[in-house]
Amino acid sequence: MDQLEEVVREEWGRLVALLLSQFRRLDLVEDALGDAVEAASRTWPVDGTPGNPAAWLMTAARRRVLDRLRSEDVARRKEPLLRIDAERHEEGARTMADAGSLVEDDVLRLVLMCAHPALVPEAASALSLRLVLGVPTPDIARLFLVPEPTMAARLTRAKKRIVGAGIPFAVPDASALPERLDVVAQTSYLAFTAGYSPGTGPDLLRAAASGEAIRLVRVVLGLRPDEPSLVALLALMLLQHSRRDARVRDGRLVLLTDQDRTRWHHDEVAEAIRLLARPCLAGPLSPLAASYVLQARIAAEHATATAAEDTRWDRIVRWYDLLLQVAPSPSARLARAVAVAEDSGTAAGLTALEGIEIADSHRPAAVRAELLARAGDVDAARAAYDQAVAACRNDVEREFLVGKRDAL
Amino acid sequence: MKYLVLLIGDGAEKPWPEQTEAEQTAAMAKFGAFDAACRARDGIELLAGEALSDSRDATVMRTSVDGRVALTDGPYTEVIEGMGGFYLLEAPDLDVVVDLLRVLPAYDIQIHPTIDVSG
Repeated sequence: MDQLEEVVREEWGRLVALLLSQFRRLDLVEDALGDAVEAASRTWPVDGTPGNPAAWLMTAARRRVLDRLRSEDVARRKEPLLRIDAERHEEGARTMADAGSLVEDDVLRLVLMCAHPALVPEAASALSLRLVLGVPTPDIARLFLVPEPTMAARLTRAKKRIVGAGIPFAVPDASALPERLDVVAQTSYLAFTAGYSPGTGPDLLRAAASGEAIRLVRVVLGLRPDEPSLVALLALMLLQHSRRDARVRDGRLVLLTDQDRTRWHHDEVAEAIRLLARPCLAGPLSPLAASYVLQARIAAEHATATAAEDTRWDRIVRWYDLLLQVAPSPSARLARAVAVAEDSGTAAGLTALEGIEIADSHRPAAVRAELLARAGDVDAARAAYDQAVAACRNDVEREFLVGKRDAL
Repeated sequence: MKYLVLLIGDGAEKPWPEQTEAEQTAAMAKFGAFDAACRARDGIELLAGEALSDSRDATVMRTSVDGRVALTDGPYTEVIEGMGGFYLLEAPDLDVVVDLLRVLPAYDIQIHPTIDVSG
């Protein structure tokens, strides 16, 4: 990565935040910063990298915004401004006095604005990657499996809505902040999971883009280091992400039990385990934070088992029982049934599987097929595989299921 | 007795962006005439009237029984059947409005910015 790329990667969100608090023009800031980066890519190789690269970009971007403001027809109706109240600005700064400088406070404003609950979650997620991290629009489009013009339009629409609906560039009162940071966590996790599933095309996982979601959580944790939902989410993401290099071999999906565990990123596993031991997760947690902790503990059981046969399925079943109390969902029941089958046998697994349905998902049928095959009921297994194959919309996964069926 | 008058749908009018400047001027004159007629008649007081911005700028706020607030993008499509009252209030931003509205009963509420047409 060259120096410009590095500065853009590290400073993008802070520069966007500073430009927004100064000009309050969400429609201009991103383009101006893009122009500044483009100018830097031309001049820095010739003139040398400036002493303070971020300040250089800020000055160039500010000049671009001023040019645009000057060229706007003053007779026309004024463009609407982002809501950013001076009084609230100071209040927000006080709230954040313990966590860092006013500059970091501006980045938090940006994060909260992008992940606002009045935005469609997918739009909030995409906008966070774009404005906080500077992820290029084509990369975001690939992550969310939409054409680039669709993603560009979605981002433009989200920015218009922020200004139009009066979504503020502000930090709410301390009492409202945890709830809003839960939305930030959900927004980040949506970007993360978009990179892993459930694709309809041949591209099974887009791990690099998922890694950007981890970076987003790290940025916010830099501002609010002890926020339980974010600490737990980072642990969960790291554990899932640590298996990225072992999940696919020669374009084929590799199941957890068959993965080469030496290819897991054990440094990330270790970091996640340390995060799960943090004191901020010991107290009473919001349902969201608690569900992230439990999902992370389940992932940690897998990550710390030295071999697939050493997995503590009894503990995993217990974690799932707790998870179903905190956040009941068909997916969690399905995963619990798999764990029950491993812990107590195929018959118990099939019993636990009864009545589980997930709309538009091949997974319940795929699990049933696998368990029936283990139980030796080949005809029923084949029927279940047929059902799973028909419902599956991911090329790689479908191929996997067809292979299993044909091997019966 | 007070009445809320909702100007909803374009009806026989052409959509605003498709009108010529002359047609728009004529429409604005009718709003002015309505305003004047209300002022001229005894017992009538026009308390509030605003043009709403694009309906895609609207936000729906729903409060569940446990007090959690969910916001969704866009207008509340059942708005006519469900309309139970309205407030017009000046506030710095959406977060402040949502914060204030939390004290009300747990109705479904559409929060819709107005636009300034005074020039």
